[in-house]
Amino acid sequence: MSVSGYLTRQPVRIVGLIAVIAAAGVVVVWQDLGLARLLTLGYLDRSLRAATPIALVAIGGLFAEKSGVFNIGVEGFMIFGAVNGLAAASLVSGNGPVTQFDLWIGLFVAVLISALLTTLFAVLMIRYEADQIVAGLAVWFIGLGFGPFTAILIWGSRNSGTVGRIGSLDLPVLSGIPVLGPVLFGASPFILLTIAITIGAWVFLYRTRYGYWLQAAGENPEALDTAGIDVNRVRYAAVIFSGTMAGLAGAVLTLGVTGNFIGSGMTVVDGRGWIGIVAYLFGNYNPIGAFLAALLFGAMDMLQIQFQTIGVPLPSSLVDLFPYVVVIVVLTFYGSTRMPSRVGEPYESEE
Amino acid sequence: MSDADSGRARDALDGAADRLLGATPVERVALALASTVTALLIGLVVVTAAGYDPLMFVNDMLYGAFGTERRLTITLRETSYFILAGVAVAVAFRTGVFNIGVQGQFIVGMLATTMTILWLTPFLPANRLGGVGLLLVGTLGGVAAGGAYGALPGVLKAYADANEIITTIMLNFIAIGVVFFLVDGPFRGEGESATRTASIPEYAELPPVLLDGSDFSILGLVATVGIAVLIYVLLTRTRAGYDMVTSGHQESAAIYSGVDAKRTIVRTMTISGMVAGVLGALFIVMHANAMPNANGINTYGFDAIAVSLLAANHPLGVIPAGALFGGLDAGGQYINVASDVPPQLIDGIVGLVVLFVAAPELFRMAAKRTGLGGDRR
Repeated sequence: MSVSGYLTRQPVRIVGLIAVIAAAGVVVVWQDLGLARLLTLGYLDRSLRAATPIALVAIGGLFAEKSGVFNIGVEGFMIFGAVNGLAAASLVSGNGPVTQFDLWIGLFVAVLISALLTTLFAVLMIRYEADQIVAGLAVWFIGLGFGPFTAILIWGSRNSGTVGRIGSLDLPVLSGIPVLGPVLFGASPFILLTIAITIGAWVFLYRTRYGYWLQAAGENPEALDTAGIDVNRVRYAAVIFSGTMAGLAGAVLTLGVTGNFIGSGMTVVDGRGWIGIVAYLFGNYNPIGAFLAALLFGAMDMLQIQFQTIGVPLPSSLVDLFPYVVVIVVLTFYGSTRMPSRVGEPYESEE
Repeated sequence: MSDADSGRARDALDGAADRLLGATPVERVALALASTVTALLIGLVVVTAAGYDPLMFVNDMLYGAFGTERRLTITLRETSYFILAGVAVAVAFRTGVFNIGVQGQFIVGMLATTMTILWLTPFLPANRLGGVGLLLVGTLGGVAAGGAYGALPGVLKAYADANEIITTIMLNFIAIGVVFFLVDGPFRGEGESATRTASIPEYAELPPVLLDGSDFSILGLVATVGIAVLIYVLLTRTRAGYDMVTSGHQESAAIYSGVDAKRTIVRTMTISGMVAGVLGALFIVMHANAMPNANGINTYGFDAIAVSLLAANHPLGVIPAGALFGGLDAGGQYINVASDVPPQLIDGIVGLVVLFVAAPELFRMAAKRTGLGGDRR
């Protein structure tokens, strides 16, 4: 990147950033918002819960992009995960009530189907060198069509109605720990799972040789090839992982957070896959950074409830748009993160 | 500007076109057909697997698209919308900018057209002439709003390096949300129980000519084709169009020949948004007559990505591709009322078309293996 390009961009960024912070400050002072009343333990719990699907999809997408494949189909794979999880749970329960066991089966089935679909997608991307942006968008459109289609087949309507939600953990001793206890060990099991996956992904990426292969596949595939590692095999693994994680994220969204599937408009997923992509860009391709960015978006998503309880008179239809606005602000002021240098290029071995 | 410069720009353009298309016109058409047919066949498999009768489905689709004069006018109406949306996408894609925000620009254009007409109605005579005035000014309002809403992500991309794919998608969500808020509250029509504005006066609507009914006017289709031709001329016969296409595909070459790449990106996004604004205006004056709930509007802006890609992003190629989608959409609307097959199936098929268009190698290899397709270059 040229120095002049950097300089011309800076004023826009700095002025914009100052404007945003000033605007937030004005709102807080003008409305006399008690920050203490805004930032409660319940808010942290809700934010974490809302952040889990975003963090999971972000970590998957991050792995694919690190390996050199831009999987922007994650939004679509999330829709498949979201509808398939609940659909499988409904089918397994037959006509009876949906039990916790059925819901877990649903989660498992959704992840399995996502892995299969992503394998097909990976073949198209890597073997048939499909255009990564167009094919990724296509997956979203396919999800927007077949997601509600599946819902109509199963429930007779685009919206499932309440099916059920996987209950909270209640680990005896651990949930008694002050502050952290109820948030981690007395809450949705997916919060703990997401934190475990985040740490696991970080260790895998930076502390194992497989992680180095993955990074090399995106940064310097020739070197990896020379070292005798099959670049495309690494990329297959990363893409399949990313779609599977997106499927898990979608299933966690419906089975763990909302308890129902909405098939109208942009479906229940409603841009969370896209937000996940921005979360890992914002987190600078680091799983822990991606998790923290996801937490920020989760907190934005749950702001509505906080505003209601402390009586901020903003209509919910506008507050619901905060995460999307934050995405644009993040991209504007943090837009040019350092992408892996060979993202988007198919790799063909010299032999 | 010297001759050498313009020659260089033209070379760059030719190179860009070669790489962009990478195929002969015949091959491009074959690819589009193969993608569409494969997607439709998969759709039929899904219909069959879901327990419906595939022959009945095909029959209903064809009847819904062409069965009666009324069905045909619906097809032509939807065709107009898909052509405009497709041109909006094609302008951007052809110049290397991924405007996924046509849907949002379209919705903003709809609202601007409606409100411009509603605000101006008391000031103009309530006759045909006043109606033409309202129609023209309303359309200008829609075009201006759509253009501005397209320019925004263009500026963010050009001057702050913000990825336009993601910003335009976010701006779609924001447009839907804000327009819903406005139409649900301050702009709601007096006495309207549903989320919609007041209706524009009847004399400001586009009058039906030749074919009657079904909210379709030949004038709309003529204007639509005119805009496709206009954009084609702009991109291929004007200096500004050359600059746009060149800077999209050969950025360094464009910069050496004196093109301001940043300004070109903003210009591209503005024109793309303006065409989406025309779509918004047409949708109001020909068909909706009031701004409806933004959540329930057909996703022309997304489907247009498939339309544009099928046409290899060629503004004139968008016309037949738009007709295909007009037919699919009219068929889908009929399926929705006349059969149990969920019309969302059509959306899924559209997605599959995009997926296959993205992977031309798939069909090249298949053609090679089956001995079809002959020798390619």
